[in-house]
Amino acid sequence: MSAFANILAGGVFHAAVLFLVAAGLQLVFGVQKIVNLACGSFYALGAYFGITFINYTTQFGISPWLIFPGLIISGIMLGFIGPPIERILRSVYGRDESFQLLLTFALVLIFQDVFKFIWGANPRSLDSAYLVYGTLRAGDFSIPVYNLLVILAAIAIAGGLGLFLQRTNYGRLLRATAENRAMAEALGVDVRRIYSTVFTLGAVLGTIAGALVVPTAAASLDMAIEFVIEAFAVVVIGGLGSMRGALVGALIVGLIRALSIVFFPELEVLAIYLIVIGVLIFRPVGLFGRSFA
Amino acid sequence: MAISRRKVLTSAAALGALSISDRVCSPAIAQNKPLRIGVLAPRAGIAAAPGLNGIRATQWAVEGFNAKDGIGGRKVELVIEDESTPKDTIERFSKLVQQEKVDCVQGIISTGVGLALGPAVEEARALTIYWDGTTQDGVDEKIPNPRYLFRSTDNECEAVMSSLLAIKNWKGKFATVAGINPDYSYGRNNMAAFVAMLKRFNIEHQVVTEQWPKVGTMDLTSHVAALKAAKPDLIFSSLLFADLPVFMKQAHAAGLTEGTKLVFPAAGWQHTLMKKEFTPEGMLFGHNTLYFANPNASPLAKEFVAWYEKTHQDYPEWEADRAYFAIASYKEAVEKAMKAKGGSWPSQDDVIDSLVGLSIDSLGGKSSWRKDHIADQTFVQGLTTHKNNYDFVTLGSFETMYSTELQKPPGANFWEWIKSAQFKV
Amino acid sequence: MTINSATLTALIGTAALALLPLVLPPYYVGLMIPFFGYAIALLGFNLLFGYTGLLSFGHAMFLGLGAYGAAVMSGVFGVKSFELVLLAVMLGSAVIALPIAFLCARYVGIFFGMLTLAFGMLFYSFLFKFYHLTGGDSGMRVPRMNILGLTFERYNKIEFLAGPFYYYCLGLLVIAGLVMWRIVHSPFGLHLKTIRDNARKAEYLGVHVHRFRLAAFVISAAFGAVGGAILAFRVGLADPELVYWTQSGQLVFMGVLGGFSNFFGPIIGALTYTLLQDQLQSLTEYWRSMLGVILALIVIGFPEGIAGLAVDLRRRLARRSQ
Repeated sequence: MSAFANILAGGVFHAAVLFLVAAGLQLVFGVQKIVNLACGSFYALGAYFGITFINYTTQFGISPWLIFPGLIISGIMLGFIGPPIERILRSVYGRDESFQLLLTFALVLIFQDVFKFIWGANPRSLDSAYLVYGTLRAGDFSIPVYNLLVILAAIAIAGGLGLFLQRTNYGRLLRATAENRAMAEALGVDVRRIYSTVFTLGAVLGTIAGALVVPTAAASLDMAIEFVIEAFAVVVIGGLGSMRGALVGALIVGLIRALSIVFFPELEVLAIYLIVIGVLIFRPVGLFGRSFA
Repeated sequence: MAISRRKVLTSAAALGALSISDRVCSPAIAQNKPLRIGVLAPRAGIAAAPGLNGIRATQWAVEGFNAKDGIGGRKVELVIEDESTPKDTIERFSKLVQQEKVDCVQGIISTGVGLALGPAVEEARALTIYWDGTTQDGVDEKIPNPRYLFRSTDNECEAVMSSLLAIKNWKGKFATVAGINPDYSYGRNNMAAFVAMLKRFNIEHQVVTEQWPKVGTMDLTSHVAALKAAKPDLIFSSLLFADLPVFMKQAHAAGLTEGTKLVFPAAGWQHTLMKKEFTPEGMLFGHNTLYFANPNASPLAKEFVAWYEKTHQDYPEWEADRAYFAIASYKEAVEKAMKAKGGSWPSQDDVIDSLVGLSIDSLGGKSSWRKDHIADQTFVQGLTTHKNNYDFVTLGSFETMYSTELQKPPGANFWEWIKSAQFKV
Repeated sequence: MTINSATLTALIGTAALALLPLVLPPYYVGLMIPFFGYAIALLGFNLLFGYTGLLSFGHAMFLGLGAYGAAVMSGVFGVKSFELVLLAVMLGSAVIALPIAFLCARYVGIFFGMLTLAFGMLFYSFLFKFYHLTGGDSGMRVPRMNILGLTFERYNKIEFLAGPFYYYCLGLLVIAGLVMWRIVHSPFGLHLKTIRDNARKAEYLGVHVHRFRLAAFVISAAFGAVGGAILAFRVGLADPELVYWTQSGQLVFMGVLGGFSNFFGPIIGALTYTLLQDQLQSLTEYWRSMLGVILALIVIGFPEGIAGLAVDLRRRLARRSQ
């Protein structure tokens, strides 16, 4: 029983990280109709930079207790790359979707070498300072409190995003622009500004995810291209453009992966693809359709 | 006006003639030109870190040679290309041999690439020395008697040594066994070798779970959970990429490393990332052919480690030794063949004949080339300790074994050999 | 493009390629073999992308099918004739493409791209996981085969690749080009273009959009398989990395680089990319980002690719001379 709980906890943690990146993807797709292949690159960037940031602050004697907020801050700090990259993508907005996909693919290629250049070929990691928060135990079940914090953070961000999009004026503006850009523009909305903000927000969600995952794992050059597949699976299962879809899709992918590792190891990776293909065939709009909610 | 056909053909013939004469040029001219060595190593992807170790060791060796007489009186130049997928690596190899016209190709870490490149090496008739690549499909040798290709020790050496040491240290102290190995040929063969060794020595055991994480995956929490649920007395793992320290961290966080015997034959590849906080003491830890803190190391090895620490703020792992062995044995072979020819430059065939049977002192210890062109090297494995000045684990006690005791002889079948070989335990 | 200028381009191109082995160093001649493979595969890819408007991000899987098909046919079943192998992999690839096409061709744009990406990665995982069948990460050997029934015993593999096999592949490319030209200029091709430009209108006009897309998909799969078999033959190995999604991305890159609106674009793209990648890889270890920058520049500034630039240049020169 506790073994099952351990597996579930692992799956939920992975789902939390997946949700953050998927939410970023959904935001950007929902408003700008761009599928960002470079979402994995933001994830990797967050991981690498998170390590650098924490190592830097530790030198100044910042307490290890602050590692959790520290990583979130490092993710937010990377927001500055959002606007310039969005500017680059702006040149293909009106064009065929294929070009947008290709341009983000070009970004993936460029980012790969940026990582190699700045951080080298060796995988990087943080020491286990994150264990300073302790571990929650209940019999044979155990989960590091840090992992719980990440899960809670993901839930909080999910809730926050939901509130932001539904209840605030700016959120309404975003949804309006997503539904009908021309109309929004006609009503005086500064669409350019919105696009820039949304893309930055999407990027930051990705970098925060990478930063938060890095204490338990590591940052490596292959992270970016490996992660894209899973993020895409989440978004397709949940439904392109839907936040709720990102949440449910992330849970499905995270849990299926965790369970299949234990119960159907031969299927492990195949299971995810089969589900993606299944969803695309039987319910192509995903579980929660194209609604931006 | 259009170029006349004759002109095109004659110029082509001239070009062709040039390229042929380049390879068979007279030794007198050759000796004034630098010696070119092509290096094929990964500089991106999951094996980039060991690739870098190897490249740095080669560069250090070449600097040392060039500071004196080079190799056989000729200065050495390195031409470095990326090892990546089998197809692309074969192309880079072709470029090194046909276009760059290097005198020797060294490198290769991935077995998949090594196997694919093997026939190309023989076809190209270009002397090639693999660092860490073999030409085995699983445990079966696919190219038993190559002429131009020299390959590393079998991948199973470290598993065999770990099995022997595990049995020696812990016989009777474990009943249930679990494995977590990367899901590709290397991981599968290591696990299978370990189990075969247990059977061979009639060690009572029960395999309670086998985990096969995707190569290089960073999310191992589910695998750790599955291991915990199985409650093994001993865990055997040939994880060796960036997933290894991640596993260790996650296992430690889940309490898996307490009280479980850990057998990790290839952990040395990531040794500087195996921090003391999450890597326990008393773990059977393999450094393959180079243990950087070996007190019995040669002065040269100690000099190398010190140089590596100063220049790169890091400590080398075994790929550095593999690379050094390749270039150092090449130098020995060339100079030995030169002497035999009374001072004139040896042909490629002369060098190959010199390499066979050659034995040198590599960074990790005695190393030599068998007549089937497979290396014999000194392996180091031991139990970890926290009592050191680093932030990662080192070996508190260790043993060295020469690979003649660890790898199957030429032409033998691996599984048969395990059953009948004389092991010193 | 008038028939005359196209024929001229084809003739000049073929002649140039035929003369290449006489002028180029042997390494570059060897480099041309993958070019031929990719060029044939891209001709098929462009049928799907340029003429039907469907962007597949999983096309590498058909090259993989060709490669592994060749490995199975010649390595496992001992078939010696390369022609037989090519026919077999084309058929096999088309058959496998049928159900995939049936599922995917209902969708366009992003969904088509993501679905093909998923199928491609599914095949990749299959190749890795079922290692007893496929050799896993080590791949499967592809032994040397006979072309046109001749073994060319006295040539070692390198000489064989730079000589007889080079011209054989050139022949294959010419045949593939002719076949594709006929396809594209047939009523079938016209239907595809109509579907690409306005699928709904085509539907109203009574065109079975789904069926045509399906056919285009299957044809492109067959071309891809031929390309994959050539690639695997050269290297002597079919390996799973050939199928990873970034390889599919590379195919798209080549297509866009050459220019997807032009018949010869894919061939130009394959040639340029092959040479570019080779030169960049020797130049710097950061060649991936250089290629990324080039791709970005093309997408932003020169979406019609090299062929587009050439056509543009010709037009400007023509205008100036008037």
